[in-house]
Amino acid sequence: MMDIFLCLKQPSRMVDSKRMRMTSNFQWILLTFLLLYLMNQVSSQKKRTPHDLKCVTNNLQVWDCSWRAPSGAGRGAAYEVCIENGSHSCYRLEKNTKIPALSPGDHEVTINFGSSISKFTLNEKDVSFIPDTPEILNLSADFSTSTLHLKWNDKGSVFPRHSNVIWEIKILRKKNMEIVKIMTHNTTLNGKDTVHHWSWTSDMPLECATHYVGIRCHIDDPKFSGHKEWSNWSLLKNISWSSDSQTKVFPQDKVILVGSDITVCCVTQEKVVLALIGSTNCPLIHLDGENVAIKIHNISASESSGTNVVFSVEDNMFGTVIFAGYPPDIPQKLNCETYDLKEIVCTWNPGRPTSLVGPRNTSYTLFESFSGKCVRYKRAEVPTNESYQLFFQMLSNQEIYNFTLNARNPLGQSESTLLVNVTEKVHPHTPTSVKVKDINSTAVTLSWHLPGNFAKIKLLCQIEINKTNSVHELRNITMKGVENSSYLIAVDKLNPYTIYTFRIRCSTKPFWKWSKWSNEKQYLTTEAIPSKGPDTWREWSSDGKNLIIYWKPLSINEANGKILSYNVSCSSDEETQSLSEILDPQHKAEIQLDKNDYIISVVAKNSVGSSPPSKIASMEIPNDDLKIEQAVGMGNGILLTWNYDPNMTCDYVIKWCNSSRSEPCLMDWKKVPSNSTETVIESDQFRPGVRYNFFLYGCRNQGYQLLRSIIGYVEELAPTVAPNFTVEDTSADSILVRWEDIPVEELRGFLRGYLFYFEKGERDTSKMRGLESGRSDIKVKNITDISQKTLRIVDLQGKTSYHLVLRAYTDGGMGPEKSMFVVTKENSVGLIIAILIPVAVAVIVGVVTSILCYRKREWIKETFYPDIPNPENCKALQFQKSVCEGSSALKTLEMNRCTPNNVEVLETRSMVPKTEDTEIISAVAERPEDSSDVEPENHVVVSYCPPVIEEEIANPGADEAGGASQVIYIDIQSMYQPQAKPEEEPENDPVGGAGYKPQMHLPVTSTVEDLAAEDDLDKTAGYRPQANVNTWNLVSPDSPRSTDSSSEIVSFGSPCSINSRQFLIPPKDEESPKSSGGGWSFTNFFQNKPND
Amino acid sequence: MSRREGSLEDPQADSSVSPLPHLEAKIQQTHSLARLLTKYAEQLLQEYVQHQGDPFGLPGFSPPRPPVAGLSAPAPGHAGLPVPERLRLDAAALAVLPPLLDVVRRRQAELNPRAARLLRRLEDAARQARALGAAVEAVLGALGAETGGPRAEPATAAAAAIAAAATGGVFPAKVLGLRVCSLYLEWVSRTEADLGQLAPGGPA
Repeated sequence: MMDIFLCLKQPSRMVDSKRMRMTSNFQWILLTFLLLYLMNQVSSQKKRTPHDLKCVTNNLQVWDCSWRAPSGAGRGAAYEVCIENGSHSCYRLEKNTKIPALSPGDHEVTINFGSSISKFTLNEKDVSFIPDTPEILNLSADFSTSTLHLKWNDKGSVFPRHSNVIWEIKILRKKNMEIVKIMTHNTTLNGKDTVHHWSWTSDMPLECATHYVGIRCHIDDPKFSGHKEWSNWSLLKNISWSSDSQTKVFPQDKVILVGSDITVCCVTQEKVVLALIGSTNCPLIHLDGENVAIKIHNISASESSGTNVVFSVEDNMFGTVIFAGYPPDIPQKLNCETYDLKEIVCTWNPGRPTSLVGPRNTSYTLFESFSGKCVRYKRAEVPTNESYQLFFQMLSNQEIYNFTLNARNPLGQSESTLLVNVTEKVHPHTPTSVKVKDINSTAVTLSWHLPGNFAKIKLLCQIEINKTNSVHELRNITMKGVENSSYLIAVDKLNPYTIYTFRIRCSTKPFWKWSKWSNEKQYLTTEAIPSKGPDTWREWSSDGKNLIIYWKPLSINEANGKILSYNVSCSSDEETQSLSEILDPQHKAEIQLDKNDYIISVVAKNSVGSSPPSKIASMEIPNDDLKIEQAVGMGNGILLTWNYDPNMTCDYVIKWCNSSRSEPCLMDWKKVPSNSTETVIESDQFRPGVRYNFFLYGCRNQGYQLLRSIIGYVEELAPTVAPNFTVEDTSADSILVRWEDIPVEELRGFLRGYLFYFEKGERDTSKMRGLESGRSDIKVKNITDISQKTLRIVDLQGKTSYHLVLRAYTDGGMGPEKSMFVVTKENSVGLIIAILIPVAVAVIVGVVTSILCYRKREWIKETFYPDIPNPENCKALQFQKSVCEGSSALKTLEMNRCTPNNVEVLETRSMVPKTEDTEIISAVAERPEDSSDVEPENHVVVSYCPPVIEEEIANPGADEAGGASQVIYIDIQSMYQPQAKPEEEPENDPVGGAGYKPQMHLPVTSTVEDLAAEDDLDKTAGYRPQANVNTWNLVSPDSPRSTDSSSEIVSFGSPCSINSRQFLIPPKDEESPKSSGGGWSFTNFFQNKPND
Repeated sequence: MSRREGSLEDPQADSSVSPLPHLEAKIQQTHSLARLLTKYAEQLLQEYVQHQGDPFGLPGFSPPRPPVAGLSAPAPGHAGLPVPERLRLDAAALAVLPPLLDVVRRRQAELNPRAARLLRRLEDAARQARALGAAVEAVLGALGAETGGPRAEPATAAAAAIAAAATGGVFPAKVLGLRVCSLYLEWVSRTEADLGQLAPGGPA
C-alpha cells in the first residue's frame, strides 16, 4: 500500500521514464483493491453474526465458551446455542456459556442470535486448559537455616483424573523484587485436595532482605488434547525479619563446608563503611536501606576460633564468625577388642581433621545392633592424630557384636561398622606378679597373674628364658584359661647353678595379639655335680724330678655349681694313691714321681659331689724324628694342620708357650678329637709380633707323643730395632760390613732379609732420605740370605765418604734403619806416581842440562862469561839493542863504561864493620822489610866491583866460628872512598855505595859522573863483573832480595849483577837454614824458567 | 610465682610487732604484686588477641568496647580521688573480674581448646585478680580505711550477665572477652599506680 501511495504521489516523475512499467503496476493495484473490497464485505457480513467462538477449561470438566457478539447486540442479548453432540442440545444463554466438556471430535455449534445464525465447529483441540491460580496457604521462614517453607493446596479434587502438575515457584528479594530464583516442583493430582510443602534455602540470610514467593502451575493431563497453559501467578507472599533496630550481622556462628560460598549481611540503620573477612577487605553489596552484604567465595578452612567477618560503621563495629570445616571423615581403622573378656574397647582414627572444635567438633556414637545399646564418646578434645576409644561393657552370653560407629558434626555425618567375635579378639593385659620356685637343679615353676576371665578360652603364653652370655630362648605354652587369673607352669631343661631371667607374655587361641612382656624375673637354679672332669695336662719340671699337673677350671655349664676343690690321685699298675686336695682356684699340682709310668687323675668337687676323673699318663712316648717348623697365624689365631694318623687313638693336644719365656714351656693347651687333622689355636693371650712355640702331641693308649714342634706368630710385625753393623775393613774402593743378629723379641717375625743402602755423603750433609723412593744416587742391596752376616761393597771411590744404612725386614714390614758414615782410603799408588813422574822428569832435564852445560862449558864461558867480556857478546847489549829497547826496567843492563877499581878486601871480626858496610851498600839492602826478614847477625852484604880484587883471608877459621866474614870491595876512586863513619853520608849518596860499580874506571869528569850517577841510579846499581868465575853462583829469584820482582833492581844471576853475592858466600853458609832459600832445587829451576 | 601468690593470698597472716613497717611492707608487697600482674595482664591480652584470629591481631583494629555489667573502666577522674577511695574502687573492680575471667576462659575453651597457654593464663588471671583484690583490701584495712567488704552479689551478677552475653554469638563473645582482658589490665595497672602512691619512695 505504501508503494502504491508513493507511486500515486509522484506520477509525473514516473510518466516519462516508466510509462510501460506503470501500466502493469496499475493493473496489479486494481486487483489488490478489488480483493480488499471483497474481504471487507465478508467481514462486515460476519460482524453481523456471533463470531470468534473460544472455549477454555480450568478443570477439564466444564468448558467455558465465549464468542464475539454481533454488531448491534447489546449487553444482555440472548443467544440460542445448539450443540450437536450425538444428541442435539440447545441452550439459551447470554454471551458466555459453560458447557460440559465435549467428547473428543468435532462438534457443530450453532449460535442463533435473532435472525442471524452462526455455525462453528468445536473440537477439544481448540479448547485451552488453564488451571486456576494456585493459592499459597502459608509461607514461613527458618532464619537459622535461611530456609523458606511454602505450603499450598493443589485442589486436586476438581480434576476428574490423575494428572501431573508442574508447579513453578519464584523467589524475589528486596523491595524492588529482584527475582532471585525460579524453580519448578512436580506433583500429581490424585483426585483429592492435597496440601504441598516446599522448602528453599537461601544463599543469603533471610534476615538480610525481604523475600517474596509466588507460585503457578501447569497441569499435564495426557488425555486432554487441547492447549495446556500455565495458571496465573499466585499472590506474592513475603518474609521479612523484624529488626529491633539493633545492628546485627547474619548469619551468626555459621558452620559451612570448606570451599563453599556464603553471603554475610549486616542489618543496620547506620552506614557501613568497611567489611573485613579476617584481614581482607570485601566489596559491599547494598541491600534495602543501609543494609549491606558481602559474598565469600570458596571459603577456606577456618582456624580454631573461626573466621571473623567484621562490618565497620562510623563509630562501631559488628561482626560474626564463620566456621568453615569438613564433615566428619569415615572413622578409620575401627577395631574392637577386649583385654579381659569383660569390656570391649573400640578404637578408631578420626581420619581427615574437620577443622571444627569445641561444640562443633565431631561427636561419636557407638551402637551395637544386636543388643541395641549404644555409648557416646564424651571427650571434649583430643589431639588431631590421636586415636579415639570407647568402652563397651560385654553382655553375658553374647560373643558376637555388630558395632556401628557414627560420627556427626554440623556439616554431616559418617559411619563405620564392625562385626566382631570378641573371643577371637582378646588382647590380654600384661602379666604381673611373676614368681619362680625351685623344682630341682634343672627345673622351676613359674607363676603369674593375668587379669581377666578367660575360663572359656585357651591361652597361648610365651616364656622368654635368658641366660647370661647366651642367646635367649622362647618357649610357647598353651594352657586353659582360668577364672581367677592365676597361672602356673613348670619350666624344665635348665642348667644347674645358672642365673636365668624369665619374662612372660600371653595371647589367646586363636591368636590375635600378644600382651606386653611382663617384668623380668631373675633366678639362680640350684647346683648339680660337675658334669665332667677338668681338662688336664702335665709337664715335667726342668730338673726332671717332679711332674706338674695342670688343669683348667670347668666352665659354668660343666661345673654345675661352685667348684670348691680338686682331688689329684696317682695310680700305677700296682696301686692308686690319692695325693692331695687342691682348693680352687689353684689349678696345678706338683708331684714327685720316678720315671715309671703313672696315670694321674684329677676330679673337681662342688657342694653336691665330684666330677668324673680326668686321666693323663705321666710319661711321653719318645719321637726322634722332629724338626722345627714355622707357621704364621691369621691375626687372632693360628691354624695348625697335621696328617691323619690312625695310630692316634685318643685326642690330640696342642700346647703352646711364649718362646722367650723360661721353662717349663706352657702357656695353655688345647685338646682336639683324634679324628681331626687341623685346629685353630686362639687365645686372648696371643699378641702380634710375639714368637710362640707350638707342640702337637698325639695320644696313643693314654700316652702322649710329641709329633710336631712349630714356632710361629699369630701376626708378624716389623722389627723394632735395626741390626747392629760394623765396618770390618775399608780400602780405597771397597768397604766390608758385618752385622749381628736381631734378638727374637725385637725381630717380631721371621727374618726375611736385609736391605743395605749406601750413597756418597758426608755426615751432617747427607741425609738418607726417601730410601724407598727410588733415588738413583742410592744403591740398594737386598740380602735375602739371612745367614749372611757380612757384605763387601766394591767399586767405591777412594778417599770418599759413604753413608751406609742397614735395615732388616720381616713379612710384617721393614725395621728401622741404622746408618754409618765411612770414608774410603786414599789411593797411595796413584799419588806416588803422580809425584814421581814430575820429579823424574825434572831430574832428567836437570841432568841433561847439566851434561850439556858441562860439555859446552867452554863455549858458555866464551859466550857468556869471557875473561874479558866482549861488549859485542854481551847480552846486555843485545838486550839494549833489541829486546830491552825502550824498557826502563831493563836499563840496568845498559853497559856503561866501567872503570876498573881496586878492590880491597877487608875482614872484620866484629859486627861494627857490618853496620858500616850496610851503610855503604845499596839502598836495596836498606829496605825495611828486608832488614826485618834477615837476621842482623848473619847479614852479609857484599859490595863488589871488579876487576882488581885484593882478597885477604885473615882468619879462615872464622867460618867455623860462625862469624860472618865480610868482603868489602872498596872503590879506590877518590870520590867513592868508603867512609869511616858511613852513617854520616848515606843520605848524600844512597846509591853510590851499593849500586853499580863500573868495571873500568874511565877518566871522566865528576860532572859527567854525577850526571851519570843521577840519571842511571838504577842502571848502575847492579852490574859487577866478576873476577873469579869459579865463584859464580846462580841466584835464585826467590831469594830474599830477588823476590821483589817489582823492584827496579833486577838481578839476572849473571856476573853483571850486584846481587851475585852468593859466589862470595862461604860454603858453610849454604848449609845454614838461611841460605837454603837460595839453594838449587827443582822448584827453583821451574820457577826460574820463565826468566831464562 | 606461685609462692609469691601463696604468700599474698593471705596477706594478713604475717603479724608484725611494729605496725608502720608492717604497713609499708604490705604496701610494698602488694605494689610488687600489682606490678607483676600488670606484666602478666599485658601478656594475657597479647595472647588473647593472638588466638582470636584476624582482624583482632591487626594493627589499628579497634574493636567495640561493649559495656560489661558490673564493671566499668577506671573513670577519668579516678586519679583525682583520694588514695583510699581509689583503692576501694580498685578492690571492687578486682573482686568483679575473677568470675568474668572465668566466663571468658570457658568460652575460649570452646573456641580454642588447644590453646593451653591462653587457658592457663586466663585461669591464673582470675586467681591473681582475686589475690590482688584481697591484698588491696588488706592494705585498706591496715590504713584504717573502710573497705567495701565482701561483694559477692555484684560479681555474681556480672558473671551471669557476661555469661549470657557471651553465649549470644561467638564474635560478641570474643569482643567481650577482649574487653574483659583489657579491663583486667586497666584495673591491675591502675591498682599498681594507686599503690605506687603509697609505696615508699612514691609520689605520695
